[in-house]
Parts: sequence; structure tokens; C-alpha cells
Amino acid sequence: MNVHLGLVAFCLTTLVACGGGSSDSGGATDNNSSNTTANANNGQQPSGGTDSPSDDNSGGAVDPSGDLGEGGGDSEPQNAPPEVEVSIDQPEVVKGAPLTLSAHVADPQDTSFSYLWKQLTGPPVELGDVTGPTLTVTLPETYQAQADNYQFSVTVTDAQGAETTTGIEIYASNAMSDIQAAMLLHQGTMGPTLEEVNAATGMSEEQWLADQMALPATYHSPLLENYPERDAPYQINRIDAWWKATLHADDQLRQRVAFALSEIFVVSDANNALKGEPEGMLAYYDLLLEHAFGNYRSLLEAVTLSPVMGTYLSHLGNEKADPERNIRPDENYAREVMQLFTIGLEVLNQDGTVKLDEGNQPIATYSQQEITGFARVFTGWTFAFSARWNRPSRNFSLPMQAFPEYHSALEKTLLNGVVIPAGVGPEESMQMALDNLFNHPNVGPFISKQLIQRLITSNPSAQYVERVAEVFNDNGNGVRGDLSAVVRAIYLDDEARRYGSVLTYQGKIKEPLLKGVQMWRTLNAHSEEGNYFTWNLDDRYGQGPMLSPSVFNFFRPDHQPAELSAQGLFAPELQIANDAAMIGTLNQQYSDLIWRMAERHTTLNPSAIYLYGHSDITLLESNGLSALLNRYNVLYFAGNMSESTRNALIELDEYFSNKSAADRVGQLLFMVSLSPEFNVQY
Amino acid sequence: MNKSRRDFLSLCLKGGMSAAALTSLQLQALSGSIQARSFSNYKALVCVYLYGGNDSMNMLVPLSGEPRAWYEASRQNLAVQGATVLNPTSEFEGGVGLHPALNALQPHFEQQSLAFVGGVGTLITPTSLTQYKAKSVPLPQHLFSHNDQQATWMHGQEKQTLNTGWGARLLERLDQGTVFGSNITIDGANPWQTGTNTSAFALSKSGISKINALSGYEPRVEHVRRVMQTLFSEAAHPLAAAYASRLNGSIDHTLHMNSLLEQAPTLTTEFGESSLSAQLAAVAKTISIQSQLGAKRQIFFVSMGGFDTHDNQESTHPALLEGLAQSMVEFQSAMAELNLTEQVTTFTMSDFGRTLTSNGDGTDHGWAGNQLVLGGAVNGGDVHGAMMAQRLDGSEDVGGGRLIPAFSNEQYFAPLARWFGLADSELTELFPNLSHFDAQALSLFKS
Repeated sequence: MNVHLGLVAFCLTTLVACGGGSSDSGGATDNNSSNTTANANNGQQPSGGTDSPSDDNSGGAVDPSGDLGEGGGDSEPQNAPPEVEVSIDQPEVVKGAPLTLSAHVADPQDTSFSYLWKQLTGPPVELGDVTGPTLTVTLPETYQAQADNYQFSVTVTDAQGAETTTGIEIYASNAMSDIQAAMLLHQGTMGPTLEEVNAATGMSEEQWLADQMALPATYHSPLLENYPERDAPYQINRIDAWWKATLHADDQLRQRVAFALSEIFVVSDANNALKGEPEGMLAYYDLLLEHAFGNYRSLLEAVTLSPVMGTYLSHLGNEKADPERNIRPDENYAREVMQLFTIGLEVLNQDGTVKLDEGNQPIATYSQQEITGFARVFTGWTFAFSARWNRPSRNFSLPMQAFPEYHSALEKTLLNGVVIPAGVGPEESMQMALDNLFNHPNVGPFISKQLIQRLITSNPSAQYVERVAEVFNDNGNGVRGDLSAVVRAIYLDDEARRYGSVLTYQGKIKEPLLKGVQMWRTLNAHSEEGNYFTWNLDDRYGQGPMLSPSVFNFFRPDHQPAELSAQGLFAPELQIANDAAMIGTLNQQYSDLIWRMAERHTTLNPSAIYLYGHSDITLLESNGLSALLNRYNVLYFAGNMSESTRNALIELDEYFSNKSAADRVGQLLFMVSLSPEFNVQY
Repeated sequence: MNKSRRDFLSLCLKGGMSAAALTSLQLQALSGSIQARSFSNYKALVCVYLYGGNDSMNMLVPLSGEPRAWYEASRQNLAVQGATVLNPTSEFEGGVGLHPALNALQPHFEQQSLAFVGGVGTLITPTSLTQYKAKSVPLPQHLFSHNDQQATWMHGQEKQTLNTGWGARLLERLDQGTVFGSNITIDGANPWQTGTNTSAFALSKSGISKINALSGYEPRVEHVRRVMQTLFSEAAHPLAAAYASRLNGSIDHTLHMNSLLEQAPTLTTEFGESSLSAQLAAVAKTISIQSQLGAKRQIFFVSMGGFDTHDNQESTHPALLEGLAQSMVEFQSAMAELNLTEQVTTFTMSDFGRTLTSNGDGTDHGWAGNQLVLGGAVNGGDVHGAMMAQRLDGSEDVGGGRLIPAFSNEQYFAPLARWFGLADSELTELFPNLSHFDAQALSLFKS
């Protein structure tokens, strides 16, 4: 489906006015039929045309009603200019496709006409013969993700020299190739399946994003199931819920963005008391899902008031100072909300680079004074529906509530010299503080860059960061923090879509967990019992959902591995690519793709997870290795399988040629999973 | 050369790999290169990193007099009661009490194999409260921030354009950087062990991690490995190439390490079930094969998390210290079993100390703290450095009981590096700010 969207009437420059247009009822679904018409008698008309309805208008006759054909007077017959409409031979125009425009002329007085087609706007098009009743052009190939806008006009002149110029506006959308679709879906899903790639092929990037954003959110809490015969869930049950949504939800873009947010707004139940609160943990993940395409300010508030975050960063139950006992408010959240969730340590330019002072030194965004101020803000909050401060409800799912008597009444110094005066209560202080953070100019570049790094590329150009930050700052309608606009800007940017000059280091190392996820999605991993009990994710992948060792996530955005230091490149995901973890992932992939390929077994253990390779096995059996590798090139490499990788896979298969197709597929997939080209998300 | 290594080398030669794709282990074996500076004796440094910022001022507490009164006033409900009396060689006003959760370590203090280093932290130059407030001296960047201060401790210097860890620099300085087995982590990658040309081998805490894809029927394994080599050697994208070189090295090093660890003796020392005990058990096991491994200088990294005690400190911190003490004692006993106590020194680092004041049920990010050094070569039974007054609004308090360190952490690292083999003249090359301090101030070793 094409995106665009509405008829945009336009005025040809030579016109005295816009024609009302014959297309105004053409329906909003038909996006490429906006005819606009003007005509002129060009001095060849009888000069005594005194009955012109607008004779004070020397430029020509215009009928504001649009009934151009009847525009003449009511007495003497005169030559009226032809009525012209332009049609397109296809309902939806895609880039790179041939296209024929036809001029349909109605003129009771003439039968022969001359035509002249022109292109008015849009990327240059080779027009060919411009003097016939039709014009066939081939629109340029894709060079940007957005639809291209064209305006063409045809001037039809009748035998008596009366002419009409009619224009048409065309939006040509991308039609993604399977490779382009795979690339987008590697960035925008938890790991695309063949069905998803096929469904996106032929769509434009914009349409795919719009469709995804329009899908209802798949929340994780409803997917939480206890162990049979247990009346409360465990940590493993919330991980099971994560797998169910990750593997099966249709709203993959939202799942992917929420996963990215879970690595920025980090909470974790690894090695702490939250391990006992799986429902709360899922409620937290659900708020990330809920706000993924919402406003960043609302997200920040939801995160801040989450009792899970309150527990993790200890502002839940945080009390105002007690000077008698040398007790002051807990500074944990005050510090991390600034360092990690909003502004970072150093003042940034809008392109994400660090701003330097006159002495070429970075400028700190805050000092202990602001920490103290924000620490006071985050006092007086505890679990919702608590009977008393000291009788907390321990409801880990609902937003925290405030007890004003435990909230600091002192004045609170915020950023940029803003001060909350003494005596302001907890809710109001919270709003002021979050507004203060939200409106700091660092937020746009700080958050945009991290989202780009989680979703698209480890080393975005400063210009890319700036383009997205601008959208964060203003979505075009004066709204700051619109994450749906930010997400669109991130995915549709030329740099993400590899239009224009492509950086040699564009892309990122895939997160180990997401490598596993893609294989599980493409190969429909499941157990007969339907659960995904995956213990020890840390040993398997070096990471897991909401299992970070600290609020600093598994890896830092500025991690620079030694291998890339000479080139000055960052690769955050390689921070967890140590020997033990890499071998752990290697063994996990081997176990998944070789040992637990269902087709290699005659009986299945009902509680064990197997992967199902039958589609690949069938393809290999019926169409041969080359067909299978072509599929893998799209599905796993987004078109980036090099000749040498292909040859290596062929060489691998030679050894297993006398084995079953299931064995061969398993071996090939295992080698795919560790190949360098699969391990980069392009 | 043992069999698997020889097989492996012949395998990669058969595979026609380019030299660029060879790992350091392969290059070392192929060229037969031996490090320029060779050591006749063996030494190892084991870093126990305490993530989150240990409230280490509460490991050593004053027992009496004015220091105790200040302490009680500042720490309130977090003041340690029932501390174990220590009798360090140096005398301190108010005495020195050991947090009872660390009691398992007391015998090592008595036997003079355990020392404390008091009042250390990140500093660029000696800093007074007046100078701090006037910002008249350079201060460490991003004080009180976890990851920045972790980095500063591990780098042993302020942030550079290209950051390297002081552990890695130490190895490189001693020409051990490329010796496989000299640099081992049981807790993943970390800044301390990452150098210009050096990075740590990450061993799983379970020790051997068998590579299933490369086990079993030999012709299949050879074939699969050869295809892997081809894939790894031809990665064009720079990030893909970095990944490929990592994975290639990981496979190579893990196969080699496994073959040696399979021959490791079984130690009678029993290790507990905590993560730190498991990590230290893996270190002990690796040290037990040090002669086969061939590295004469080894650095190890293990860690323990949970020290960011913003809340519930009263219950969590003692449990952390108890676990720490238990694991360190187990490790020391394993070293005794291997007869290597004199050659192995274990020491702690942490993000920072914590505020003396409480936030109700915990403490926040501070600055100066205390550290532990354990080993037969250690000048034990003493508190080196300072027993800083735990006094609010005292002459070192920058606010809330965040104390300006009396000694820089580079002063703490210097004797560790010197014991490891670095010449005095090389110390300031390793630690750029050390020249602002007395490099000999802390005599952490017996000789």
C-alpha cells in the first residue's frame, strides 16, 4: 500500500487562479489524481468576448465553480478551450516503475489538438515524446525512503489556439525489494521471519512503519503464566512471557523499540530482591511498550513513578532529611536519572558531540548541588494504596503514591538555575523536576543517539544524530519528545536506509540474544507444552531481558573495543563479547540448530524446546542448495552474504552431502549463525 | 608443544589462513617468539573488584575516644557495633576495629599476610578541602559516578583519548602483553586488563568450556573449523572483522586452555557456592597449571557486585563483606596448597567509598575508601595509609561525609606494580599522576 495521502491541489505558475478541479471528489484513497486545470484563450479568441464572467480579470477566464466547459457566455457561440483531465494507468505509483499519463480531452468544437507535457517538480525524469496524448515515463529508482513528489502538466491546444493546462501531482512510493525489506526488518523487529520479510516486500518503508505503529500493543503481563500447580509466578515465568511476546507478537517494531528502551531505562532483577516480583517487572516492561510511540515526557514520568524503578534505584521509600540523625535523602535516582535517562554527564551539541568550553574542556551538566536538589524531589514516594508510609502495600505494578509529610519541604535546585521554592509538595515538585529534565537541550541528542545505536548503527554520523534530535525537539507540529516521530526519523533516515553515500562501518553488531531470537522466530521454536523456560540466559548470551548486572546496562554506548580503536569506532555489543560469552553463545547456537532441530528426532520430549526447519529442509530437497542460500542471503544477511561466505557454506555442505537434509540445514544454519556477515546488522 | 595445539596449528596452516587472521597464540607459537624480558620466578596479581562502591570506611572502624564519637555521630544506625579489635603495627588514635563480618580474615592479619590500605581514592594531585572548594587544583573527572570512577580506578589514570588499563599497561611494560595466559579474567572484559595491544582471555567461572561444535569425530571437526577459519578471515565490514577476530581468538584460546585445564590437579581446598568463590576457584585452577601455561607474570580479574548499598545497607553490607572474606580465605588456602602464597597477591578495588551520612537505610556515592591486600609477600598485620577520621564537616569532608582521599589510588597501585617487577623509574610512566605524590609512601610488601 502506498502512504500518500490526500490530494494537494496546486496552482500552476501561469494561472490566474486554481481551477476548482474535477478531482475534488476523487476520494482520499486515490492519491495520484489531483488534476488542476486552467485555460486561457491566448489572444486568439474573439476579442469581443465581453460576456466573460470576469472581464476585469485580464489574464483569462476562470470559473470558480470549476465548470470550465460552461464558462462561456449565454449568447454567441465562441470557441471554448478544451476540457482536459489527466489519468494515470495505475492506482499506486512506485519508484522505478514505468508510468503512463493520459490526457483526456473534451471539446465539442474541436477534434484535433496538440499536446505539450512538462515536468514541473520532482526528481528529474526523462520525458521522451512530450507531444502526444499520453506520456510514458520511468520514474527514478529509490534514493530516499520518503515518497517522491512529482508534478506534471499537459497543455492541450485546440485547432483554434485555445489552450488548457492541467496538472497532476504524483506521489511515488518505494516498493521495497526483499533485501530492503529484510534490512528494515532486521532493524525494526526482534528478528524477522521469512513470512514477515515477504509481507513487507513491495511495501514502502513508511507504510511498514505506519502499519506497525497502528497495531495494538502486545503487553507482556497478560502472557504471564505460573508453573502448573503454583499459585505465584517466578522470575522464569516473566522470562517465559517475554519470549512469548518476542516470538509471536505482530507488533514487532514496538517490541524492538521497547527492548531498546529496556537497555536505556534499565531495571534488572538479576541478583536483587526484584527477582521475587515478576509481575512488577512485567508491568515495568509494559510501560516501556505503552510509551514506545508516545511522548518521552510521559515515558520519563511512568519510569520515575514505577515502583520497580523505585526499588531498583531506591527512591521508593526515600524520606526527607532528618538533620538530627545526619540523614539526608537518597541520591541514587537523582544521579542516574540525569546521567543515564535524560541528559548525561556533559553538555552536548545538538549533533550529540560534546560541547567544549574556552579551555577545550567538557562542561559538566550538573554538580552535587543539583543532585541534592533532585534527591529532595524524589522523597515521599512509596507503593500505591499504602495504608501508611510505614505500612507499604508492596504493589509493584501501579505508579507510586506520595506521602507529603515524608517529602522534603526545602527548596530544590534543579538544572539551569531553576529552583523549586520551599514548601512545594511531592506531586508538584515531581512535575517541575521532570519538566526541567525534559526540557534540557541535551535530552534530544542524548536519547536520540542511544536509540540510533540500539536500533540502527553503533557509529551514527553527527548529522544523523542531529536530524533525529531535531525531530525530538519538534515533531513538526511544535511537540517535543514525540517518540513516534523520533522512531520514524530514525528508521527513515538516509543513513539508516543506506541511501546516498554509505559509511563503510554503517550498522552494528547484533546483540547475542537477538541472534538467538531470530533463529527461534524463523524456525518456530517451541515445546509441546508451549513454554519457554530459558534459565541461565547470561551464560548462553551474556545478556537477557531485564537482567543487566547494573543500571549501566550490559554494555555502554561508548564502548570501544581494542580491535577498533585505531579506526576510532565504537561497538557497544562487543563489550560482552568476551571469550567465555562467545563460546557460550556458540554452544547455544549449536545446541539449538543441530541438537534441537526437531526433524532430526523421531520422538520429542514434550517439555523441551525444538526448532523446526521443515521449510528450509523442503526447499533444500526440492530446489537445492543454491535456492536455500538465496533464501538465507535475504533472511539472515539482508542481502549482504558475500561470495566468499556463500562459497564457505557450499564447502561446508559438501562434507555433509550424504547426510539427511535436516542435518545439512542444521549445519548450514549453525555456520550462518557464527558467520561475521550474519553478526552485523547492516 | 602439546598435541591439540600442534594439531590446531597444522589445521590453520592447512586452511591457508592469512597471517592477519592468526591470533596472538598462533603467532606466538608459529614464531616461537619468547618475550624480551624473561622472569625466572612466577608472580600473579589477582584483582578483586567490588562493583558499586564498597562502604569500605565501615570495614575498619575506630573503637574509642573522639574518633569513635565522631564515627557514631556520622554513621548513626550504620555504625558498626562489636568490631573485632585489631593490633596493627602502626598506631592509630581510637584504635582499629575490624567489621565482624570480616572476621574470617583476621587470622591472616595476625599472620601478617593481610594488610589494609586506608584512605585511598582517585586524585590527580594532593587536594585540600579549601582547594577542592576553590577548584584551584585539578580534580578527577566525574567523581561519584559509578562507571567513570570504575574506569579511573581500572585505568590508573584520568580519561585519555585512548584508554588503557593499568593491569594491561603493566604487562605490556614488562613485555608480557602478548604472552598468552598472562592476562585472564573470570568476569568478562574490563578496562583494567585492556591495553593497546593486550586484552584479557575471559575464562568461564566453571573453568573448561567445551566447544561442542568442535568436539567429536575428528574429520568433521577439522572440516567445520576450516570453514570457520575461512569465514573469519574474510570479513570486510570493520565491525564484522572485529567480531570475527574475537571469535577466532576465543575458539583458539579456549581449545588451548581446555587442553591444559584438563590436566589440572584437583585441589583439596573447598570453595563455597558464591559467584566470587567460583571465580576464585577458577583462578586457583588456572594458577595450578601456570607452569604448563608458561606465563611468568599473570594478572587475574574477579569481581563481586552489590556494593551500591543505597538501601538496606544494615543487612546487605555485612553479608557482602562476609562473602568477600570467605572467598578470599578460600583462595588463600588454595594458594597455600599450591605452595604459591608468596607469589600471588590479591587486592581489592572499588568505585569509591560511600557517604558517612545515611540516607535513612543506606549510603550514597562517596570518595575515599579502604582496600585489602592479601598474600604471603604482603607487609601484613598493618593498616598502611590513613585511618581517616569518620567525622562530618571535618577537614576532609566535601559534604555529606564524602572524604577527600589522603592517598591517591596510584600511590596504592605503585607498590603492587613494583612487586610485580616494574622498576621504580618506570612507575611514573605507568601512572602519570604519581609524580605529584610520594610513590614510596605505602610499603605494602615485606621487602
